[in-house]
Amino acid sequence: MTEHAGRIQRSQAPKTWSRYRFPESLWRFGAVLAIIVFLGYSMAFMNVDIGLLFGALGGLLGVIGTRFYPPDIAYVLDAGYLASILDTLQMSFLGGMAGVALAIPLAWFSAWNVSPHRRVLFPLGRLGVISARAIHETIWTILFVSVLGFGMLAGVSALTMFCIGFAGKLFSDEIEAVDMGPVEAMRATGANSLQVFLFAVVPQVRVAFTGIAIYTWDVAFRAATVVGFFGGGGMGWYLKRNVQQLENLRVGAIILSIIAMVLVAEFISGWLRAAVNRAK
Amino acid sequence: MSATDTHIAGLGAQTTLRRKRQMKQALIWTGVLVFAAWCAHGTIIADTDWSRVGGRSGVLASIGRYMQLDLGLLPELVRPTIETFMMASVGTVLGCFFSLPVAWLGAANVTPSKTILYPVGRFLMVLSRSVHEIVWALIFVSAVGLGALPGILAIAMRSVGFISKITAEAIENIDAKPVEAIRATGGNQFQVMYYGILPQIYPVVLATIIFEWDINIRRSAVMGLVGAGGLGLLFFRQMNSFNYGGVSMVILAILMLIILGEIISHYLRKAVI
Amino acid sequence: MSVLSVKDLRVRYSANGPEILKGISFELQSDDFLAMIGPSGAGKSTLIRCINRLVEPTGGEIVLLGEDVRALRPSELRRLRRNVGMIFQEFNLINRMSVMDNVLSGRLGYTGNLRSLFRHFPKKDIEKALYYLDRVGLTDHVDKRADALSGGQRQRVGIARALMQTPKLLLLDEPTSALDPKISREVMALIMGIAKELGVPALCNIHDVQLAKEFCNRIVGLQDGVKKFDGETATLRDRDLEEIYAMEVL
Repeated sequence: MTEHAGRIQRSQAPKTWSRYRFPESLWRFGAVLAIIVFLGYSMAFMNVDIGLLFGALGGLLGVIGTRFYPPDIAYVLDAGYLASILDTLQMSFLGGMAGVALAIPLAWFSAWNVSPHRRVLFPLGRLGVISARAIHETIWTILFVSVLGFGMLAGVSALTMFCIGFAGKLFSDEIEAVDMGPVEAMRATGANSLQVFLFAVVPQVRVAFTGIAIYTWDVAFRAATVVGFFGGGGMGWYLKRNVQQLENLRVGAIILSIIAMVLVAEFISGWLRAAVNRAK
Repeated sequence: MSATDTHIAGLGAQTTLRRKRQMKQALIWTGVLVFAAWCAHGTIIADTDWSRVGGRSGVLASIGRYMQLDLGLLPELVRPTIETFMMASVGTVLGCFFSLPVAWLGAANVTPSKTILYPVGRFLMVLSRSVHEIVWALIFVSAVGLGALPGILAIAMRSVGFISKITAEAIENIDAKPVEAIRATGGNQFQVMYYGILPQIYPVVLATIIFEWDINIRRSAVMGLVGAGGLGLLFFRQMNSFNYGGVSMVILAILMLIILGEIISHYLRKAVI
Repeated sequence: MSVLSVKDLRVRYSANGPEILKGISFELQSDDFLAMIGPSGAGKSTLIRCINRLVEPTGGEIVLLGEDVRALRPSELRRLRRNVGMIFQEFNLINRMSVMDNVLSGRLGYTGNLRSLFRHFPKKDIEKALYYLDRVGLTDHVDKRADALSGGQRQRVGIARALMQTPKLLLLDEPTSALDPKISREVMALIMGIAKELGVPALCNIHDVQLAKEFCNRIVGLQDGVKKFDGETATLRDRDLEEIYAMEVL
């Protein structure tokens, strides 16, 4: 028994220990301090009253209670508004499809492992996806409205850009994670990069792409509810009009309808994605 | 029946099966395309005022207006750019504070009440994500007036859903063994959470917060469109005064800010993991 | 002197579920190093967790250090738990924290919330941690993360953590079954040496009968929630083992 215990190596024990080591601890505390100072300075810079910030949540409930309640449900059951829900659905579907269709080649270009041309097409593909993603869908809407005029064409175009950015990144991440074995096998047979993509990559990512495409539509629908606010057609247009006319009870009803529709869209997309996963 | 016959019969069955699957796929694709055509008819062909678009030259002329950058706007850009960055940062931090209780309620294994508070937590997560940031901003502008404050609050509210959802999932997936060990040493509820749960979830939570912050920079750039400060307000003003060169300048400023955000979050993520 | 006395202990995990422990009684004396042996599923882990109420018993009586464990309120239970060091099969360390912090976490029962929040433990605790880390041979690994250590080293961190509590009783839940045979022997020897040195009795769940015979002075055999053997190690016959492990042989 003692011989077992004796086998444990014992070195000279230190007398003290401290969590704080000179350079590392200084860096860590400096970083935390810098963040706190930055946040505090931000509040001062933006003239935001901290008390107001935390009081605002109570204020929110008050505002909802007095201004938006009771929502004017009859307004959102009106035929004109219901048609706008259909418009929103159509825009999101079309924008989602066009976006996904354009995102697939861009994702192929911008996936490092199978990119057809690493020097030219790779950075172009990356740039395309990143810039589509960098600009918020509402700004895309305003830009397209200024070029194409008010209406759903501008909305669909903006949603297309949004979906390119959203799906493009997910697609290229998916492509970069494929098993390279089949890719090498195809290359060894002398296939060109398009053939490699079609025969070695596409079969591996097909199911994942379908799931992402459905998810993209779901997210596009969420965005589509507000593109109308900036002239892109659909439910958002009604929102804008009533906000401007201070018809708060109608605004409340519209927001409720948006939430309801988004939940429905989320449910449908979840169900479809589960079905796709089952079918694979 | 010989073995070869069985084999051939099997092949026949396989062919029928494949044909069935192909039929089904063709059907799905036809449906999707018909639906798309209907959507295209409704949204693009019937709804667009093509004389307003004005053909290819008209579109090119409209785009061309954006190409003459208004460099004179440069000094006016500085303050809103900083404000946008700050709005995103403060909004994210505030969102984290709001997320804490929501994640606590909405994590099945630590929620104080499974029948009442758990669904409440789950509902708050869904609510936060299903309302677009522009709508949140509208609500808060109406509640607290114009300025940066409604923007901060809108971003915070929009962030809660994702951060608390990921946090709750991380809590649900923790390893129960260290938690048991802390309980066995006589630790109280707080110590169990702080020593048993927090060390297990914090890498995931921090990565999520950084990710959300990155997205929030994009969001805070548009808050001004509905009156909540930052670059969006400047964008709105340039657009309303038809100064297209100025609009392009604002967009460039947004792009700069987003690239900066990407770089910072890249290094932060490395530091966390 | 009896440190722990268990009478007619019964446990069910759900009202209609099977009874895991069917009336277990035994005593633990102040100089005992007691082995609880039995096949897996016999209820050893459940039994040891009842003693500090990590599992709630459904019937019977547990008297530990003169207190009726089942009657304690939450704060009293925490006070009792800090007197009971526990060592786990899979070490149950907090992987992302350093060895030092893991060891110090053994003092949580004695530490206030504010100190806990900043992980600012009293100087005396740190000295104590350094002493036990040296005692288990981990002086060179103080600032490493717990998941960077080998299995044997991790279990030693677990031992140091349990010792930090200044325990009056050690509960060992299969302390060696995640380790290879050579390391198992070293770890058992270490625990036993320290227990003797501090004069602390121990209750040890153990699957390996050889180890139990080698290190423990008394053996309790459990099978399917029922006690089948209780006596000095020397009195354990092959016939008793057959009875205890009958289920496994079949």
